[in-house]
Amino acid sequence: MDRDEAPATTAGAVSGGAATPATGGVVVPKHPKPGIPMLRWSSRAHSIAACQVELDRIWKSISLTTPGVPSGGDMSPVGEERRVAARSSVMNLVVVAGRGETGERAAAVIHGLTGRHPSRTIIVSPADPDGPAWIDAQVQAHCVLPTPDSPETCAELIYLTAGGESGGHLAGIVAPLLVHDLPCTVWWPSEPRLQSRTTKDLLRMADRVLVDGSGWSGDGLDRLADLAALPAAYNVEIADFALLRQSRWREAIASSFDLPRLMPFLGSIREITVRYAAHDGSPRATNVVKPIYHLAWLASRLGMTVVEPMAAVDDAWSGYHGVLRSSRRHVAISLEPMESDNTAGSTMEVEIGAQRADHMLIARVTGQADGITVATTVDGDQLADRHYLVPRRREGDLLAETIEDAGAHPITAEALAMAAALVGRPIPGHRATGVMRAAA
Amino acid sequence: MATKAPPGRPTTTTRTGPLRPDTTERGPHTAAPAPGGRTIKDERLAQDGKRKKPSKAVEANPLRKGLRLERVPDPHVMVLFGATGDLSHRKVIPALAQLWRTNLLPQDWMLVAIGRRPYDDDMFREELRTTLRANARVPLEPSVEKQFLQRISYHRGDFDDDAAYMSLIEKLDKIDAEHATAGNRLFYLATQPSAFPLIVNQIGKCGLDHETHGGGWRRIIVEKPFGRDFDSAKRLNREVGKVFRESQVYRIDHYLGKETVRNLLVFRFANGIFEPLWNRRYVDHVQITMAESIGVEDRGSFYEETGAVRDVVQNHLLQLLALVAMEPPATLEAEALRDEKVKVLRAVDRLDRTSVDADVVRGQYGPGWVAGEHVEGYRQEPEVDADSETETFVAMKLEIDDWRWSGVPFYLRTGKRLPKRATEIAIQFRDVPHRLFTEAQSNPQPNLLAIRIQPDEGIVLRFGSKVPGLGMDIRTVNMDFTYGSAFSTDAPEAYETLILDAMLGDASLFTRADEVEAAWAAVDPILDTWVEEPPPPFPNYESGTWGPAAAERLMERAGRRWRRI
Repeated sequence: MDRDEAPATTAGAVSGGAATPATGGVVVPKHPKPGIPMLRWSSRAHSIAACQVELDRIWKSISLTTPGVPSGGDMSPVGEERRVAARSSVMNLVVVAGRGETGERAAAVIHGLTGRHPSRTIIVSPADPDGPAWIDAQVQAHCVLPTPDSPETCAELIYLTAGGESGGHLAGIVAPLLVHDLPCTVWWPSEPRLQSRTTKDLLRMADRVLVDGSGWSGDGLDRLADLAALPAAYNVEIADFALLRQSRWREAIASSFDLPRLMPFLGSIREITVRYAAHDGSPRATNVVKPIYHLAWLASRLGMTVVEPMAAVDDAWSGYHGVLRSSRRHVAISLEPMESDNTAGSTMEVEIGAQRADHMLIARVTGQADGITVATTVDGDQLADRHYLVPRRREGDLLAETIEDAGAHPITAEALAMAAALVGRPIPGHRATGVMRAAA
Repeated sequence: MATKAPPGRPTTTTRTGPLRPDTTERGPHTAAPAPGGRTIKDERLAQDGKRKKPSKAVEANPLRKGLRLERVPDPHVMVLFGATGDLSHRKVIPALAQLWRTNLLPQDWMLVAIGRRPYDDDMFREELRTTLRANARVPLEPSVEKQFLQRISYHRGDFDDDAAYMSLIEKLDKIDAEHATAGNRLFYLATQPSAFPLIVNQIGKCGLDHETHGGGWRRIIVEKPFGRDFDSAKRLNREVGKVFRESQVYRIDHYLGKETVRNLLVFRFANGIFEPLWNRRYVDHVQITMAESIGVEDRGSFYEETGAVRDVVQNHLLQLLALVAMEPPATLEAEALRDEKVKVLRAVDRLDRTSVDADVVRGQYGPGWVAGEHVEGYRQEPEVDADSETETFVAMKLEIDDWRWSGVPFYLRTGKRLPKRATEIAIQFRDVPHRLFTEAQSNPQPNLLAIRIQPDEGIVLRFGSKVPGLGMDIRTVNMDFTYGSAFSTDAPEAYETLILDAMLGDASLFTRADEVEAAWAAVDPILDTWVEEPPPPFPNYESGTWGPAAAERLMERAGRRWRRI
């Protein structure tokens, strides 16, 4: 990134008609509107120490106070108060942006959450690895007026580019800027290089890791297995947007078995097939992280173990096949590509076949243009279809949901461990590792 | 979704043949299920007059574990009585529209709106369109609004007309056939309370209450007020109980659906630091205030029949009191939660004539100024008797005679035409046992925890802090948590929360029959005493003030004062 680039544009869109002063400092919004994030401070620094000074300056600046109202409301004598813009932080959010535009996209998402989940956000981008070491940081405060007469809620954003050798030591740059005692989330909006030293250093300071496995190159399975190994190695929690996006699918699949007379079939599943979109000529290159998450979630929830990990069949359009064990029965599992105009790797259909005594159940959950339809048959008799609308969830919604899910996500840890077992790289000691015997 | 079968892969996803053969060892022989999913053993037990209870393992769907997304209710038909009334238009329909907008209603959901006015579907939908424009919390996109309104049909009929119920049955059966609503029905009584017994009776008479075997639940939501005293509430419970089981009845008190009220449970039982202080040893007294700046508006005739005790104290304020004072429930299941609330209501010290005279203050507003505007007195309001003795203000002291709260007064206050609209619960802690900072210019105030229900939902903790400087001065400061600042997300309206809960069969936030009766038992002595004694000279407080002077004296007698809200 060009070091002389204007901060307001590099940090993403900021509403409020603000103008960035040349010297850096307070920005007075021209038309503040409740609920709309406004840039209220912008300054520049070229060292970590200078960044810290700028952060201090933001909150010492009396210009950030807003006219107050009498506090009232208690039995003590009422005094005149000034309402000061309140710095709020629920966490440290470190965004590793490989490219400038990735950082801008992340910044835009984070601005949208200023009021709801204010964080100290540090967007780091390495640049020009072969040049001399340098640091360029834009230090900003973004504020939201919850209501016209409320104090502003503000959060800090540091947009930091590290050139030369500095870019190889991102953890060392980030560590002094973290708010102490607050959890640290590291978000890779694009593809993380999980084996690199820089990444490992960042993981050591992280409490939580955010990724989007559906955007990874190739089939994504190796990286998925790498990801599954992180909780044990670094004591971090994982949130994968690819898995979060499937929540309505899980609701739909679970609903297939809500009827008491259908629930026993869950113990007698024989087949699970997930069909996913692929484009002509590229079924093998399609990212199958989302489809395999369906299998992994079902298998983990139903206490299945892996007998034969998923293996690609020679014919690219035949997909991947494996075998699970449920109680004493084998369950055939498949990922099958379907040529489609939909985004490659997106789920088209989940089909579950179960046989209990002489009765056969088939639950078919199918993606439609506007949602998901659940169709269930028992011995060929069609039960009533159900249709679920699937609202489009943007990155901001997923990030907010991740932040709200403080603590380990109840599905991710198990699904991820099962996914690793499904691709033949089980987490040692995990109960999904019936695979160890079979793989051996 | 355009798809085509690629070469070299199966071309169909429609299975007609058997599943792949089981390649592993078989488990023990499983009894073949009889038609309808029942085993031979089930059939035999049924013939013996016993029904096999489904095992716990079957009842709990393992795939539901850990799903964070709000569960979508079963497909069903909602039958709204009083659909053309004010409550339906201001609250119920807008709440349903929001649930629809946010995809929380099942796609196979239908609403049959019942009213007396001569509308057809299109006329009623047109009226709702206007209603939604005025009352929707978040405006609906035109396409969503259209979809929503298409789910609604109008059914004209008088509540006592047998023929109207017979045609309703036909209509519901037809909807079941066309929309796969599976016989599930949610009845909503948004009518005048006097119509409740009649409608319930008619529902029972035509068999609409019967839960069909193997599918089709029936539930009923009943609006407040539930009775007008202990006896009438008991009678009404009995009438409803003749038709519906208690587990099918959802008595709505919208206050329980408010986000801050629900947060009371979280605040008390998810935080370890407050509960140890939540008792007679540390709490001096509790104040619960629900103040309204509006008058009776166009509800004069209704208010003449109710008054502040019936309209607010018996339900909203006593529910807040129960949530503040209850013991931790064993679980968050409806019965556990309601058991604890009932215990508190039963422990409220029964007032007698003497204590009503001493500890309960009633008032009625006269003309005055609210928010810079001159307003009429209660007796000048439309549909109000010029000599009305109805109370528009109540302040009272109650005590809860149990191990935790014995000796701690709970002060309740509600009124109309007060200076502002505000509802809050204040826990006033005891003063420190020894005043150490005697040299300080101002004495630190005792700690106080205020839970603001509306507006500015939030929590304030008051404590003393040293004023920076060379001296040792202490000033009382507030640690203020405001919902709006911490969570800028839109909180759902109480009606959205409660209606969705009823659709899902979760009765936690609804009041149970014995709970309603216990609350009436707590206020009945007040009503009985007031029937026998003439009120103080009404009006006795000016609009825009905090009620009659007697309310202040009630607190001053104990060396306390009302919070200035």
